[in-house]
Amino acid sequence: MEIIQSVLYGFQVALQPINLIYCFFGVLIGTLVGVLPGLGPAAAIALLLPSTFKATPVSAIIMLAGIYYGAMYGGSTTSILVNIPGEAASVVTCLDGYQMARRGRAGPALGISAFGSFIAGTFAVIALTFLAPLLAGIALKFGPPEYFSLMIVGIMVLTFLSSGSMIKALMMAAVGLILGGVGMDAISGKYRFTYGIQILADGVGLVPTVMGLFGISEVLENLETEIKRDILTTKIKNLLPTLKDWADSIWSVIRGTVLGFFLGIIPGGGAIIASFASYAIEKKTSKHPEEFGKGAIQGVAAPEAANNAAAGGAFIPLLTLGIPANAVMAILLGALMIHGLQPGPLLMKQAPDLFWGTIVSMYIGNGMLLVLNLPLIGLWVKVLKVPYYLLYPLIILFCLIGSYSIGNNAGDVIVMLIFGIVGYLMRKFRYDGAPMVLALVLGPMLEEALRQSLILSQGNFSIFVSRPLSLSFLILAVLLLVVPIITQRRKLSTLKE
Amino acid sequence: MGRADRISGIFWLVFALFVCIESYRLGLGTLHKPGPGFLFFWTSIVLSIMSLVILFRAWTEKKTGEAKASIFGKQNTLKILLVLISVFLYALFMERLGFILVTLLLFVFLLGVIEKKRWFFTVFVSVVVTAISYLIFEIWLRSQLPKGFLEFLRF
Repeated sequence: MEIIQSVLYGFQVALQPINLIYCFFGVLIGTLVGVLPGLGPAAAIALLLPSTFKATPVSAIIMLAGIYYGAMYGGSTTSILVNIPGEAASVVTCLDGYQMARRGRAGPALGISAFGSFIAGTFAVIALTFLAPLLAGIALKFGPPEYFSLMIVGIMVLTFLSSGSMIKALMMAAVGLILGGVGMDAISGKYRFTYGIQILADGVGLVPTVMGLFGISEVLENLETEIKRDILTTKIKNLLPTLKDWADSIWSVIRGTVLGFFLGIIPGGGAIIASFASYAIEKKTSKHPEEFGKGAIQGVAAPEAANNAAAGGAFIPLLTLGIPANAVMAILLGALMIHGLQPGPLLMKQAPDLFWGTIVSMYIGNGMLLVLNLPLIGLWVKVLKVPYYLLYPLIILFCLIGSYSIGNNAGDVIVMLIFGIVGYLMRKFRYDGAPMVLALVLGPMLEEALRQSLILSQGNFSIFVSRPLSLSFLILAVLLLVVPIITQRRKLSTLKE
Repeated sequence: MGRADRISGIFWLVFALFVCIESYRLGLGTLHKPGPGFLFFWTSIVLSIMSLVILFRAWTEKKTGEAKASIFGKQNTLKILLVLISVFLYALFMERLGFILVTLLLFVFLLGVIEKKRWFFTVFVSVVVTAISYLIFEIWLRSQLPKGFLEFLRF
C-alpha cells in the first residue's frame, strides 16, 4: 500500500506542468543526442548540467534522466538507417537493423525498436518502483566497510565487462582513483597534487573530464578519416510492425528486457554490455541462427529492449546506494550533489519528491518517447544529413560553453581540452575511458569509507572480512578478477597444444 | 599493439612512480590513522605493477611479427593539430575578448581555413551560430558567458 501511495505522490510531482516540460525537453534532447553520432549521453548530460542550476533539483534530475533514456531510443535510428551507431549501446543494432533497412524493411525495424524500447523501459521503471525501496532498506544497514567493498565490486565489474584488455581497464580505474584524490584532503586539510594550480584546488572537475574524454576526443578521432554516410533514400513506410513481426520478436523483447534490467543494476554493468549480451543469447537460442546479421528482426528487438531496460536498472544503485553504475550515472550523482542532495539510502526519506518524482517521470517519459519517435523519424533522418564539417564545430562549441559555464572559469575549459587530448591518445592506445570516470567519482567516497573503516577497527584490516556482507562483496570482487585470468590461461594452453 | 603498449606502458610506469613518491611525501600515516597519501601510495604501487605487466607482454609478443603500423594515421594529423591549437587559443582568450568575438573567430577559422568553405558561407554560418548560441546560453539559460572588452555593449 505504501508503494501505491508513493507512486501516486510521484505522479503529483511529475505531472506538474514545469516538470512535464523539463521531461519533454530531456527526452527530446536525448533522442537528438542519440541520433547524432559523435555526441553520447554522458557528454550531453555534462553539457546541460549547468543549464539546470536555476531549476529545482527535481526538475533538473527529471530532465537529465530523460536525456539518458531518450538517447537509448534515438541511438537505434542511426544504426538502422545509416549503419552508424548514434551511441555505443546501439552498436549491435547495426548488425541486423541496417540489413533490414537494406531489404526495404526500415519501417518495421524502426517500429519494433521503438516498441521494444517502450516495453523494456516501462518494465524497468515498474521493477525500479518495487526494488528500490527494498534495496534502500538493506542499504541502511551498511557501514563504511560495506560501502568500501561494494565500491570495489563496482570498479571490478566495470573492468571485467570492459571491451578491451582487462588489465588496461584496471589501470584506468587506478588512474581515476588517483585523479579523484587531487584537491584538498577532507580529513587532514592538506592540498594534494595541486602544485599551486588554482583550478585544481577543488579537484579535477567531473564535467570537464567527461566532456573531454567522450566529447572532444571523439571529434578528434572522427577528424582523422572522413565519415562516409550512405543514407537510405527510400521512403520509410509501415512503421507499425505486423502481427508476424510481433510473433517473431515478442519473446526476444521479453528476454532482452529481463537480462538488460539485471545487467543494468550491477554497478559497472549497463546498457552497452546488456545489448551485446542479449544479442549473443538470441543468436544462440534461435532456431535460425544463420539469419542473424542478414536482417533478423530478433537481432533488433532484443538488444534495443536490453539497452533500455539497462538504462532504467542503472538508476537503482544510484538512488538507493548512492553508487553510480556507469559514467552517465556518475554525472547524475554529481548533479544531485551540486543541487545539495546526498544520494544514498536516505534519499527516499529526505527527498521523496525527487525520488518518486524522477521514477514516475520515467513512465511518462517513456510514453512521450513512443509518441515522439514514430512520427519524428523523418526529422531525425534530416538531422543526420547535417554534414560533419558543420557538426564537429558545433560539438566543440557546446563542449567549450558547457565546461566554461560549470563554474564560469576558463581554467575548466583548459582541463576539458587536456582531457580531450588524453582521451584521444587513450583511444589510440586502446584504453577505455569509462573505468577512469567511474573511479574518479568513486575515489573520494572510497577513500573516506576506507579511512573511516580503519578508524573504526583501529587499524585492523580484518574489518573488511569479518563482516559477512562486506566479505561477500570482496569475494565477488576477487572472483571477477581471477576468473578471466584462469579462462585466459586455459585458452592459451589449448592454443599451445 | 606491441609498440603502442610499450609506449603507453612506459608512460604509466613513470606516472605511477611519480604519484608514488608524491604520496609518500604527503604522508602515509599509520594504519590506525591513514594519512592523506595512504590510498594513492598503494594505488600507484598497483598501477606500476600493472604497467610492468603491459610492458612485459608487449616485449614478449614483439616477435610475433606485427607490421610496424603507425599509431597515428598520417593524413589528417595536421588538421587535428590545427583544431587543437584553435580551441586552446579560444580558452586562453575567451575571457579577454569575450564570447561573441572568440566564437566568431573560431568558426571562421574552422570553416574557412580548415574546411576551406567559401567565404560567404563561412561568414554567414559563423554569424548565425554565434548569434543563436548567444541567445540560447546567455539570454535564455543565463549562463553568464564572458563579455570581454565588448562589455560596454551590454545587450
